[in-house]
Amino acid sequence: MSDVLIRLENIVKSYGPDLDPAVDNLDLEVQRGEVLVLVGPSGCGKSTTLRLINRLIEPTSGRIVIDGEDVTDVNPSELRRKIGYVIQQVGLFPHRTIAENIATVPNLLGWKKKDIATRVDELLELVSMDPDTYRDRYPKELSGGQAQRVGVARALAADPDVLLMDEPFGAIDPITRDRLQNEFLRLQSEVKKTIVFVTHDIDEAIKMGNRIAILREGSEIAQLDTPEAILAHPADEFVESFLGSGAILKGLTLKKVSDTELHQVPILTAPVMREEALKELQESPDQVGLLLDSNGRPLRWIDERALNRTSQPIEKSGRPVTVDLQPEDTLQDALTVMLQSSAGMACVTDRRGKYLGCTTIESLAKLIMSDGQG
Amino acid sequence: MSIATSPNTQRTPLAERLDLIISPLFALTLSLIGVAVWFYSDLDKTTLSILDPEKLQSQLVETISLGLASSALVILIAVPIGILVTRKGFPRLKSFLVNTLGLGQSLPVYGLIVIFFSWLGAGAFTVLVALATYSLLPVLRNTIVGLEQVDRSVIDAARGMGLTARQILTKIELPLSVVVILAGIRTAVVINVGFAALAFLVGGGGLGVTINSGLVNNRDSAILIGAVMIAVLALAFDFLSALAQKYMKPKGL
Amino acid sequence: MDFLIGLFEFALSRQGRVFGAVAEHTWYVASVLVSAAFIAVVTGVLTRKNQLAKELSLSVASVFLTIPSLALFVIFIPLVGLGFVPSFIALLLYSLLPILRNTITGLDGIDTGVLESAKGMGLSPIQVLTRVQLPLAWPVILAGVRVSSMLIVGLAALATLVAGGGLGDFIKDGLARLPLPNSLESIWLGTLLCLILAVIIDLILQALRVATISKGIR
Repeated sequence: MSDVLIRLENIVKSYGPDLDPAVDNLDLEVQRGEVLVLVGPSGCGKSTTLRLINRLIEPTSGRIVIDGEDVTDVNPSELRRKIGYVIQQVGLFPHRTIAENIATVPNLLGWKKKDIATRVDELLELVSMDPDTYRDRYPKELSGGQAQRVGVARALAADPDVLLMDEPFGAIDPITRDRLQNEFLRLQSEVKKTIVFVTHDIDEAIKMGNRIAILREGSEIAQLDTPEAILAHPADEFVESFLGSGAILKGLTLKKVSDTELHQVPILTAPVMREEALKELQESPDQVGLLLDSNGRPLRWIDERALNRTSQPIEKSGRPVTVDLQPEDTLQDALTVMLQSSAGMACVTDRRGKYLGCTTIESLAKLIMSDGQG
Repeated sequence: MSIATSPNTQRTPLAERLDLIISPLFALTLSLIGVAVWFYSDLDKTTLSILDPEKLQSQLVETISLGLASSALVILIAVPIGILVTRKGFPRLKSFLVNTLGLGQSLPVYGLIVIFFSWLGAGAFTVLVALATYSLLPVLRNTIVGLEQVDRSVIDAARGMGLTARQILTKIELPLSVVVILAGIRTAVVINVGFAALAFLVGGGGLGVTINSGLVNNRDSAILIGAVMIAVLALAFDFLSALAQKYMKPKGL
Repeated sequence: MDFLIGLFEFALSRQGRVFGAVAEHTWYVASVLVSAAFIAVVTGVLTRKNQLAKELSLSVASVFLTIPSLALFVIFIPLVGLGFVPSFIALLLYSLLPILRNTITGLDGIDTGVLESAKGMGLSPIQVLTRVQLPLAWPVILAGVRVSSMLIVGLAALATLVAGGGLGDFIKDGLARLPLPNSLESIWLGTLLCLILAVIIDLILQALRVATISKGIR
């Protein structure tokens, strides 16, 4: 992976002779197919740097090379049509339908109507939105998370090699943000774009980036490396203080649920008789079992005490399973769910919600320990 | 200044300053044109008799007094009505007024003056009543809208501190809506001074007489000078009301 | 009631003149609104990036609205004579401010994220203007047109004073013949027809609003 797609050479952006330059002599290489995250405190020039790449901001001096071509002086509008751009405010056109929004760049490029329609549906599927439901809706009918999915679909419409994302999930509530991040990682594993991603949130940077550039004022690179390397060996005090405390906990966002060994608890499939269930639980070393519905989706945590205490039907005893994990979720998500769960473990399901197994604190600890030794 | 003023009084400082420059500039330009016509064109006997300075002076006084009197009348009527309908108990009347007052703008003043003439006969009083009726709309509308836009939580806070309804009105609501109400009054003054020029239609005198004589006798210089005088008069009143609006605005708003 | 019936009979007996005057009046309103909207939108677009130019154009337009209608109707007579032209110019100058103000407000009010993403996707400045800015400002512009239309319908009655025709003719004739029979009817007919025309034009503009504004921003 040493194929450089974007190269910024000696870039300077200055807003006046008396002011410190916003970007001071920056050299940066982005490799084909990687997610490079620019992260830093506010005012460090990370957004400016991103906007230099599609020339929404023109550099004072220096060169921008994309795919071997010097684009410093080409027509900026034409350049931008080849680069996807996603921003925090999303910026969907409120007077156009979702389909029309997504079709913006293909329209500008003069695609055929039929091709555009096909592409729109394909993209809506890609961002997990039902084309028939959403195609003809207007942006005001979408939630914040849905709007940003459409924003991503719109940026991908003409299949650009490069995607620029400026705090794309910054204005979204934490739960939805988490879901969108995971979905985005899944999407990236399918589309394999070259992505430059700006955030001020170091956790997001660690989770999303193949490489992270930590920037200080003047867009100076304090450290540029993989998240693992940065967490293990911060270059200086600035990076250390920016990472904050709890590097091990932050490392949890780098591992996925699928990295742990799944634990199997006793399984009861509804409908099930009380006696049968009791027998099943007593025969197992585990304290709790899991009640699944007929489609194999987890319903409730059931333990012996809950069964003995009431004469209620089994579907109403125990505690409900409120959240479940998927294999591509991070261990940090897993830890959160486990700590909240009454059973001290979290059940893992596939994308359709079908039960796969459980993660436990022990399996998590084992993974961290082995990592520390290796 | 706009007849159709929306209660949007949020103008930038730059805009406020520009307003105070542009309108005197216009007035000055128009005056220069008027003076040039007066001195440099050949004014025949008819024109000179139309433009008799003594006549012009009394017409000017008539126009101004008509404009001011009708404005005073309007303020006395519209502001209390506006306050009354925004009290509890008149929600339907209030929304009816707000909705129909917009349409009232399309009422032709010309027709209004003539209709009042058919009831009240010739003279300045007829014009006064007609103008008051027409310019009632912006003042009433702005009074209602101004009182309505006062932050409810401020009123709740005042009530919570034990102010009476009357105290809330005089110490909270009116000061907080004065900007919008003044904008309505400014509109009314300009409308009234301007339309007072139509008084000639029903024997009410004023500067319209000069324009009309110019039209009837086909004397362009007379028409022009009459028009310039009316225009400059209205611009001057607008300028003065703008100043008043600027200095009567409570600090902190 | 008797008066209303009389009014109706009066109108019926002069159908031809009534239609003629209504047509003239409507033509004033339509031609003035279209021209004013064009001028205001062009001005708003050209000045959109310059705060001073923006405020300056607003100040000038508001001066026009301050000049009394009689003065504005007659002041151009020495240059263009009597009839349609001076009336058209006066009404045009009158209707500029509401439309211009709303054009500027509409263009200023567009979400910066929308503009940023439009630019970022590679729309050229002209495309940003025609595909994003103007469509999004259009509802506000149209609201300004509506305010102007109310204003123009009433003021166009003054055109008769400079021999410009319109519904004011009925008011002028009635006034001249007062208190002869039918003079009051003539005055009321002219005045009421202005109001009715205003309501009809308002309905048309409402329909235009529904027809031309995307469901996404209505």
